[in-house]
Amino acid sequence: MRAGPTRTGTSRDDAPVPPPAKSGIGEAGDRPVSRRAVLLAAAATVLPAAAPLLLGPYPVSTLTRMLAFAVLVLSVDLLTGVTGLPTLGQAAYFGAGAYTAVLVGVHVTADAAVQVLAGLLAGLAAAVVTGWVAVRARGIVFLMLTLAIGESVHQISDTWSALGGSNGLSGMPPISLFGGPSLLAAGFVYWWVLAVAIAVYAAVALVARSPYGRTLRGIRDNEPRMRALGYRTAAARYGVFCLAGAVAGVGGALWAAQARFVSPGDLSFEVAALALLSVVIGGKGSLWGPCLGAALVLLVRDNLSASLGGHGPLLLGLVFIAVVFLMPRGLAGVLGARRRRGSGGPP
Amino acid sequence: MSPILELHGLTCTYGSLTAVDHVDLTVRPGERHALIGPNGAGKSTLFAAVAGTLPASDGRVMFAGRDVTALPEPERARRGLVRTYQHSSLFLDCSVLDNVALAVQRRHRVAYRFDRPARRFRRTGAEALRHLDAVGLAGRAEEKAAALSHGERRQLEVAMVLATGPGLVMFDEPTAGMSAAETERFVTLMGDLPDDLTVLIVEHDLDVVFRLAGHVTVLHLGRVLASGPPERIRADEAVQRAYLGSARTEDVFIDAGESP
Repeated sequence: MRAGPTRTGTSRDDAPVPPPAKSGIGEAGDRPVSRRAVLLAAAATVLPAAAPLLLGPYPVSTLTRMLAFAVLVLSVDLLTGVTGLPTLGQAAYFGAGAYTAVLVGVHVTADAAVQVLAGLLAGLAAAVVTGWVAVRARGIVFLMLTLAIGESVHQISDTWSALGGSNGLSGMPPISLFGGPSLLAAGFVYWWVLAVAIAVYAAVALVARSPYGRTLRGIRDNEPRMRALGYRTAAARYGVFCLAGAVAGVGGALWAAQARFVSPGDLSFEVAALALLSVVIGGKGSLWGPCLGAALVLLVRDNLSASLGGHGPLLLGLVFIAVVFLMPRGLAGVLGARRRRGSGGPP
Repeated sequence: MSPILELHGLTCTYGSLTAVDHVDLTVRPGERHALIGPNGAGKSTLFAAVAGTLPASDGRVMFAGRDVTALPEPERARRGLVRTYQHSSLFLDCSVLDNVALAVQRRHRVAYRFDRPARRFRRTGAEALRHLDAVGLAGRAEEKAAALSHGERRQLEVAMVLATGPGLVMFDEPTAGMSAAETERFVTLMGDLPDDLTVLIVEHDLDVVFRLAGHVTVLHLGRVLASGPPERIRADEAVQRAYLGSARTEDVFIDAGESP
């Protein structure tokens, strides 16, 4: 019983002299953390970059798919984690990007940069056209509207013969870069996808830290108050919906660069649901957490499922339940507990 | 001087209940106008209708010479008509600084910029910090708003609304739940506000009301019972009976029906 009061006593004694005491503690606590963060960031860049040198082609192509999927998951996180709009429709924009990239690859050019740009524009355009319907609603109604958009686009891809119908589009030549030779080795495709994924990550992180990101977090926390501050919140939500569409489009183009094939299955409800699941597992609002979640989800679905006798979805369901009950802030909440400070922004 | 806010027959009904009943009110620029009345008098409903949170059933709201009755809430806020809430309405998962910066960045027209991190917009950050400093929260700028005590949240609410650069602020019971020291700070803060800022304040602490207000309007059962300088309101018999509770309930109802 004694320890409690004494403790609060000391912490109260610290409080009245905040400027020197606090900054002292802050710096002492900050420095090692930031050094550790630098080390972590270095490891997080070097290890993935070295993967093709250490692993065989199959694991490398698995990693490539994880990266492309992680870009889709980032777009879901931008809506769900940053803005507070849970969505089941991002697979539609992912699919728009993937189909566009394959069409560009088959008919126009094998240049991967052009394909990514085309995928970005396709995702953006699709979100611009469909987003104004979705952003009229919030919460569960928004979720249902995005689901409807996703299913409609899936239906179109499944029936439109110009897109190959349910067979999808195949015959995409291997990608090349800046007029160079075709990138046949899985490692080169991987490096390209990694570079683009890092660029997208940096862009999304910038948005999350920018004044616009602050606006979006304000909408997530308390939209009525934002209106009372003079914000036209529907416009802000439409803006982020379009941005997320563009990001998902890039993810689709990267997916196509690896698979060189796209079918309606790539934009099915399952993909959208797994993307949302990755965000929940990774920890919504954090950016790196959902990327880890994406890797985990794809690993279970594509690689472990076979050794579990096809019971991958069951395992994913169990993981999901465990996360919701045991780690409400996801992987980021557990791994980043020490890194996180009081600043509402993502780490 | 032409009034900054005029209400003409403003009425709000919830089903068969008329919460605000043909209220006429005139607020002049720079005035410190207090709105008092017993619980259920319709003060908060009146605020919501003036701010645009709640649609008015009837009547008109004129702000700065313009009819704003049909304008949605954000548009009224952009014209400088803003409010605080009876129960603190903050961005709890955001930092204390972010709460105020949200108000500042909208006015600085950078709320949709994403070419640079927010901390690189130094003018916005500095102004937000200045507003925090005015309410004594500058030392807690980096903490989450959820970490603040009840009284501190009320102060943050004040900083936030002043950061929107308002022409007229409606404070809904700003000192509710504040400690004596915090209330004192709030009264001082009110005294330091620029003279051209108009304040409409709902307040239960009559001590605060009579110290701050240059004009007091008493609302009772949705109607204006009396309006005038504080001395006259204090002496008004109908107000004493209705508000200060020296009458039996049935008298209050009869009087309220007759007085306007």
